[in-house]
Amino acid sequence: MVLETFILLTIICGFFGIILKHNLLMKTISMDIMSTGIITFFVLVASRNGLFTPILTEKTVNYADPVPQAVILTAIVIGFSTQALMLVAIMKLAKNNPTLETKEIEKNNS
Amino acid sequence: MINLTIAWICVPLLFGFIVYLIPKLDKYLALLTTLISVIYSLQILLNNYNLKFQLLDNFGVTFRVDNISGYFILTNAIVTAAVIIYCWQKDKIAFFYGQIIFLHVSLNSAFITTDFLSLYVALEVIGMVAFLLIAYPRTDQSLWVALRYLFISSIVMLFYLGGAILVYKANNSFDFEGLKNSPPEAFVLIFLGLLVKGGIFFSGLWLPMTYAESDTPISALLSGIVTKASILPLIRCAEINDDIDLVIRILGVATAILGVCYAVLEKDIKRMFAFSSISQLGFILASPAVGGFYTLTHGLAKCALFLTIGYLPTRNLTELKNNGINTSVWIPLTLASISVIGFPFFSSFEAKVLTLNNLLPWQIIPMNIVAIGTAIYFFQLILLPHKSNQDRNISFNLFLAVTLLIFFLLSTNIIYYQAYILSNIFKALLITLIGFLLYNFILKKVVIKMSRILEEFDHLVGFMALMCLFLYAILFFIPNNWF
Repeated sequence: MVLETFILLTIICGFFGIILKHNLLMKTISMDIMSTGIITFFVLVASRNGLFTPILTEKTVNYADPVPQAVILTAIVIGFSTQALMLVAIMKLAKNNPTLETKEIEKNNS
Repeated sequence: MINLTIAWICVPLLFGFIVYLIPKLDKYLALLTTLISVIYSLQILLNNYNLKFQLLDNFGVTFRVDNISGYFILTNAIVTAAVIIYCWQKDKIAFFYGQIIFLHVSLNSAFITTDFLSLYVALEVIGMVAFLLIAYPRTDQSLWVALRYLFISSIVMLFYLGGAILVYKANNSFDFEGLKNSPPEAFVLIFLGLLVKGGIFFSGLWLPMTYAESDTPISALLSGIVTKASILPLIRCAEINDDIDLVIRILGVATAILGVCYAVLEKDIKRMFAFSSISQLGFILASPAVGGFYTLTHGLAKCALFLTIGYLPTRNLTELKNNGINTSVWIPLTLASISVIGFPFFSSFEAKVLTLNNLLPWQIIPMNIVAIGTAIYFFQLILLPHKSNQDRNISFNLFLAVTLLIFFLLSTNIIYYQAYILSNIFKALLITLIGFLLYNFILKKVVIKMSRILEEFDHLVGFMALMCLFLYAILFFIPNNWF
């Protein structure tokens, strides 16, 4: 329960960072914090029945659920590639909008 | 049929990579991909297949191919084909066509999966490819619009992931079916993801600017098919039980009303179409069980509209009303418009009748009002002054693309020909007439400028939190198993 609270706080921190920070780069980092929270949540759910690595041994142990771990690996890869794309776009935008303030960029481009 | 389905997903992906190796084949391979999808979807629709299968063992990827996904795949194929034909003589490089193929395939895979995780992967791929396509001109503006789209979609997909793991925790599987045994938080988070991605209700306000500022073929693709990738999962969720069905119907009606209110007052033609897309998505969700056919007719008509307005001299409706437009642009514009209104002879008429017949009693009045509203704002286009002696000539490719779309709009009339009874035709004509009268005598004179403040990036993100509360409120107030 304590761990879940901390995870929720991480996610909320990230989410409010996205809203409250003005700089586009900061927003991207906030999004990364949020995704860290989600990934940790997956790991937490995976460990709800045990912590051992799921390898077949002679004595039976409570092993961690491998499915959420496998699944979150996909999500991590996708998240990282999305962020790479976003950073490239931000680099390009930084040429004409050096402050990277969302309000400014929005005003110039709509 | 299972092997055929797998091949139909994999072979076009291979084409996508071949395009990069042999750039000369780009357009032909892209067109071939859509042709394969047309044949495949016709196969499903004509034989009424209902296929369910799972790849690998437990926890594997689950697929379902049936009539509804057949409609979505057909829409995808025709819309993509029309866009490729439209771009044929514009010098787009192989990169563009490669992305179009990837978009097409990832959309197809989103239409046939039935578990939340494969859907997540498909939606993320769609988001990334759409980003690349929107940013293709590489101007600052297109980059910002694309970045905004990608940002919003990846934030919301994080919420969605949180919901997906809650479903897993409750059921030990990511299947759609598990939603009914999951806690309400799972439902709220997953629906938040799908609603924002699909552009439903207030969370869909990212859509007007994205559609309006993208290139003509890209806005046609986005509105014709891309946002519908998260509509089909909503329809599938509605099949699970009556509670979810009711929530989706409520959202559908709310979306339809919101979209129509904005669209009637909008003076920028591209933004008007974007709002019209929002309201038509509401129509699809208002009776989810028959949404497939409506998606087909709306996707084709909206694609034709977006492609055609690429040839207008300006996007400002007031200017267009004063200066008039070329007849060769006016004809396809009018045909597509009366199709969206649901005028008899077009299959949209049948789709609309089918939708209106499947409404719950409380939905009938609001949806009919929305139908009249749709007629109102499309009459602005139909009544535009037009003359044929202007030198701005329509291109052959646009002609071909629009002909293809209109051809399918007419030929799909065979799907539900039972709709052609006197009372339905009379009702459609009455709706059109009321729309015309209201436009001509009242709305022609009204000028109200809608504020765009809600479409700012920060507000869009903030709306996600509000949508969460809104979904909780709906769950709280309607009778269901959760509370």
